[in-house]
Amino acid sequence: MKLQHYLGGLEGLDPISLETRVFVEAWEERIFGIHTAMMALSPQLNLAATPSTFGTVWTWADLRKGAESMNPFDYFKFRYYEKWLGGISAYFVANGYITQEELDARTKDFLTSPPAMPKGGDAAVDARVRTYLLVGDDPKRDRSTPPRFASGDVVRVANPNSVDHTRVPGHLRNKHGVIDSIYPDAYTYLCDTGPDGIGEAMPVYCVRFDPEALWPGNTEKHFTFYADIFEAYLEPATAS
Amino acid sequence: MQRFEYPTDRETANAARARALESLLIEKGVITSETVDKIMSIFATEMGPFNGAKLVARAWVDPAFKMLLAENTMAAVEKMNFVTKGAGAEGEHMRAAINTPEVHNLIICTLCSCYPWPVLGLPPYWYKDPSFRARAAREPRKVLSEFGLDIDPGKEIKTWDSSAQIRWFVVPERPAGTDGFTEEQLAALVTPESMMGVSMVKPPAR
Repeated sequence: MKLQHYLGGLEGLDPISLETRVFVEAWEERIFGIHTAMMALSPQLNLAATPSTFGTVWTWADLRKGAESMNPFDYFKFRYYEKWLGGISAYFVANGYITQEELDARTKDFLTSPPAMPKGGDAAVDARVRTYLLVGDDPKRDRSTPPRFASGDVVRVANPNSVDHTRVPGHLRNKHGVIDSIYPDAYTYLCDTGPDGIGEAMPVYCVRFDPEALWPGNTEKHFTFYADIFEAYLEPATAS
Repeated sequence: MQRFEYPTDRETANAARARALESLLIEKGVITSETVDKIMSIFATEMGPFNGAKLVARAWVDPAFKMLLAENTMAAVEKMNFVTKGAGAEGEHMRAAINTPEVHNLIICTLCSCYPWPVLGLPPYWYKDPSFRARAAREPRKVLSEFGLDIDPGKEIKTWDSSAQIRWFVVPERPAGTDGFTEEQLAALVTPESMMGVSMVKPPAR
């Protein structure tokens, strides 16, 4: 069990941050841009090949897996883009694009007497990144089988073995909800999550939950909780 | 409150590491020297909350558009002249939750920080903060009051957790004192926070 899969409803936390900026340090834009370029250049996308040397798969799922596998204290300790910087740097080292020694040495250079940033690169790389941002990566597919549930059905959220990544909010596991709506067609996920159960195209539902059933006697009134849930995570209602 | 200890050179070290990584990636032909700047420029001018504000303003002046936005969000988005049309990274499938006098909507992502890029751009820090993500799921009224927004106890709050491939945004209520405003004037009043459900759109200053 990973705390990061069970954040919803966690108690004892501090007042809400009111920081409305997207980036609080200038460097954060750089790591955001690198991540976005990696997603755009990732080879599984159906986009024109470019001279970029990036040839391994990188999606949101890879970034999320890294964050979900962190020590939970570190997850709270490090700011959002600090986690990205750590995860993405480690990925480039693990996949042989750079070595840790190179990165450490270059970091030291920037700390002591910052060298000029290198110039150049093929414009086709940036063109592909732009295309990715404007077009996206549509997960919708034709539906090969009818959806298992209908609007109004009472369902129970499954409690799968989520090895390293999941899209089941932990606070909904084993809880009953009602199908509020069914999204058209079917949706793939960015990777196969193994025994957790998603990856292939499947129906997705918007499921309505009574917060009182999620946190009995410990939530607010006149409040309804909705979550979008892949079909593999839903089971018929069971007597409780 | 600071609960952890950090090295005194935390930010300079982070900045140096980010620059070092970017410079190595340019040298090794992974990205170009322009890639990051070009991405940031797209978010500054083409994919951002200025698009969402236009959608909201159109919904305020055109009831049929508002209904379409509620029932078939992507069809409504396609009617706008956004560069992303009815697509865009992190906006391939979006849904609008419409605030009414009876219902106040709030979007969250308890598992990460899913956000509708083509219409809202990139998420502010508070939305990505684990405390917000944890607390808004169970005690939204208390959380909203910390943002300075007190929701009438009789009003229903609907919280939408973005746990699959659908991205959500809120259409806030039109403020009083805006009769006769053009769509452009109305759009100028709409903030990202109001399209996430943590603030109301304020009437124009007099």
